[in-house]
Parts: sequence; structure tokens; C-alpha cells
Amino acid sequence: LAQKTGGQLEETALIRAAQGGDSAAFEQLVRAYDQSVLRLAMNLLRSPEDAQDVYQEAFLRVYKNLDKFRFDCSFHTWLYRIVTNLCLDHMRKRKVRKEEPTIVATAEGPLDRMDAVPEERVDGDPQRYLFSGELRKRVKEVLAELTPRERMVFELRHYQGLRLRRIGEVLGTTEEAAKNCLFRATQKMRAALGDFI
Amino acid sequence: MSGELMNCAAVKDFFALYLYGELSFDEEERVESHLDGCVSCRKALERQREVQAALDNIAIEPSPALLRSCREELHMRLAEESQTAARLGWWERFTDMLTGRSSHAGWLKPAGALTLVALGFGVARFVPPGAFGGVEMGMVEPASRVRYVEPASDGKVQIVLDETRQRIVSGGLNDQKIRVLLLSAAKDPSDPGLRAETVEILNGSAQSSDVRDALTFALLHDQNAGVRLKAMEGLKPFAQQTEVRAAMTQVLLTDSNPGLRTQAIDLLTKGLNQDSPSMSYDRQVIGAMQELMQRENNAYVRQRCKTALEAVKASTETY
Repeated sequence: LAQKTGGQLEETALIRAAQGGDSAAFEQLVRAYDQSVLRLAMNLLRSPEDAQDVYQEAFLRVYKNLDKFRFDCSFHTWLYRIVTNLCLDHMRKRKVRKEEPTIVATAEGPLDRMDAVPEERVDGDPQRYLFSGELRKRVKEVLAELTPRERMVFELRHYQGLRLRRIGEVLGTTEEAAKNCLFRATQKMRAALGDFI
Repeated sequence: MSGELMNCAAVKDFFALYLYGELSFDEEERVESHLDGCVSCRKALERQREVQAALDNIAIEPSPALLRSCREELHMRLAEESQTAARLGWWERFTDMLTGRSSHAGWLKPAGALTLVALGFGVARFVPPGAFGGVEMGMVEPASRVRYVEPASDGKVQIVLDETRQRIVSGGLNDQKIRVLLLSAAKDPSDPGLRAETVEILNGSAQSSDVRDALTFALLHDQNAGVRLKAMEGLKPFAQQTEVRAAMTQVLLTDSNPGLRTQAIDLLTKGLNQDSPSMSYDRQVIGAMQELMQRENNAYVRQRCKTALEAVKASTETY
């Protein structure tokens, strides 16, 4: 707890310095969070280009609005509010466009972005290999079928490890609403992955 | 509610939230009561646990190269942003600063003070003395920072201030004093925007060896890719000089920015062909490009490097 408090104090000092125009302090703030911001955007949008757009836009907004940050919530919550809004916008636009194939052309030929993710190590067990391959495919499909809000809540809970209370704060809703959203998402996943459960 | 029994289907609905630890006390109690007496649901819960663990395998970890590229782009955009803000919104920010509306004006203080000087000179030319009730418009208040605060015995407070007074100097690039200031500003670690502007001005005098040294230093050591790009621009006309070629070869092998590595390839191989008398002179460059082929991750840079090597009929591999 002492360490956490010390860290919070340090962060508060960094934010105040950045608000006063200290660019080195701003850079330190960026570096404290930018890896998790990029990971969140990358996992939600499944596209390095879109993730990079969200990264740039999010930190530019932070830069432009930092003087309005009044410590009413944690900096993490404030930053994630910006990032999740940008990601939701991207996902909603994508739903409208009904496109975004995961196959992209590269210098080495066509590449499925999703296959950039390493396969689960199955140590030579063919049955488990088939199981894991089929499961991955099914998971990708069902994640794509979730609504942007369900996808967001699921991402924040499962992959980012945020508690529902914090998710509610980030998304500007109640813990109960976030819980309902997660419940719907997991129900859809359960229905789609029924054979595996 | 806690006394109400759940059937198997209802319990399974709650498995995911149960595993995330997000059920209320009562809900968790009902799930666990059911699990106590139901072997098949306990097995189903284990399978659900495995599936949830398997979901972790589709998580993507962004590559270090992507993170690096994001950071560099952000660095450049922030430098542009602060320059644009200083250029376009100077009046609003200036008035905000004077009226205390802006809390984010620390970096604008120098601009505000400089503007005050300029206004002072301008107004002094057109406004008769005394028109401002005795306020001396040419005077610039120094920027102050409280260094120490000490209560004095008489109930007053003693404050020690660090003060910086703004001053404008002007002169041509040939003026030694101006040049020394510019060469120092080109290395100012606190302000990439200032370094970028300074390097751009110095680019016009790159025929002088001290300026070229400063540009080479910026090209090799500046943290900001935008500043390094500007320095590269200034050194372009001197790409045939030994020291500049050595710096560009180093950029080729060590710079994190693919745009700079590509430009280095172009400049180092300009005018180079198999029959060129400078081929032997440039064995070092060819060696560096062959080494780059081994380690380059960026497909575009690799392709440019390969094309450049093939143009001089050099192997694209090292032996």
C-alpha cells in the first residue's frame, strides 16, 4: 500500500509538472501507460494501423486537455475513458462498414493479422492441436459478433483485468450495467463455444 | 434469494462471472450450493475454466517495433502541435496568460515575454509617453521561481527567488554570438520544437564545419526523429564528405526510424554504380548495407537496401 501511495504521489507530481509545461514529465506519463494503451487498442481493433491511430489521437487529446484534468478520478481512468471512446468509435464505424478483412497485403505476400498471434503450444498432441485451432477460430468469430460495448467490457475484464467497478467508471456507467454487459458477452461466448464446455 | 435453488442451466449461466469473481455474495453462495451437490456441473465448471484460460492465447502483444514507431510519431506530432499552437494561437494564449485564464501556460512564458517586448517597442513608437499612466511598456518582468521560503522572526516571510529575465538579440548567421547561441539551442534537451527550428536555420549555413558538426551531432544523437530528419536534410548536399558518410552509415545501422534509414540508403548510394571510381571507396557502405540486410525488420527498408545493392551488382548477403 505504501508503495502504491508513493507511486500515486509520484504520478500526481508528474501530472502537475506536465500541466505546468514540463515536456519530460509528460513523456514519462506517456511511457507509464502507452504500452497498455497500445495493447488495448490492438486487441480490440485487431489492426496495427488502427491501434496506432488510436494511440496517437489518445495521447494528443491528453496533451491538449491535461490542464482540464482536475484529479476527480485517477489519471488511469481518465486516460482509459479517452482510449475506450476512441476504440468504440472505430468499432462502431467498422460495424457500419461491415468490412475490415483481417487479410492484409504485405511485402511477403498476403498475411492474416490474426495469425500474427502465436498458436498455443500443444507439445505435439494432435488432438489438442485440433481442439486449440478450432477453439481459436470459434473465439475469433464470436468476438467479432459481440456488440462494441460487449466487446469492450469483455476486453477490459478478461484481458486487461479491470474490475467491473473500474470498468463502469471508465465507460461512464454503473457497475451493474457493466456486469449485465459482461453477462451478455459471456452468454454469447458460451452459446458459440458450447461444444467445448 | 440465497435459499432459492438453482438448476444446472441457470448455474452454468453464472460460471463466467463466477470465475471472474464478479458475482454478488448471494449469487456466489447459490452457485456454490449447487456445485456442492452436482458432479456434472463441477466438471462443466472445470471445462469452462479451461476455455477461459484458452482465450488468453488469442491476446496480441504489440511488437516493440510498433511501440517504438508510435512513440516516435507522437514525439513529432507533439513538437508540431506546440509549434502550431505557438504560431497560430499566440494572441489568445497571450491574453489568457495575462489574465491568468490558462493553467497550462508554463511553456508559453518565454513566448509571452518576448511578445511583451515586441509590443513594448511597437507601442512606444506610436503612443506618447505617459499615455499608459506611467506604466513602462518596454520593461519585461523577469520570470520568477520561488527557491526558498523562510518565516522571519518579525512575522514576515522571506522568499528567495530565482529570476530569469528575457532578452532579445538579433543578428545574421555569420555573427559569432548568434552562431554560438544557435549551436547551443540545437542541443537544448528540454525542447524538441526549439531544436527543430534551430536545426532548420542552421541548415542554411551547413558549408561551415562547426555547423556541420552540430548537424551531425543532431543526426546521430537527437532523441527526436523529426529533428534528426531536419539535420539529415541539411547534410544532404555534403553526402560525399567522409565524415558525413560515416555518420549516415551509422544512421543506416543504428537509427530506430525506418524513414531515416531509407534516406541514408538513398544518399549513400546516390551516383554509385558498378563502374564508379568511388566503388572501392564505398566498400564500407556496401558492407554496412549487407549487414543491414541481415538485421532489418522493416520490409520496405530491406527492399530499398536490396535494390541498392543489386544496382551495384553487390551480393545481398554477407560471407
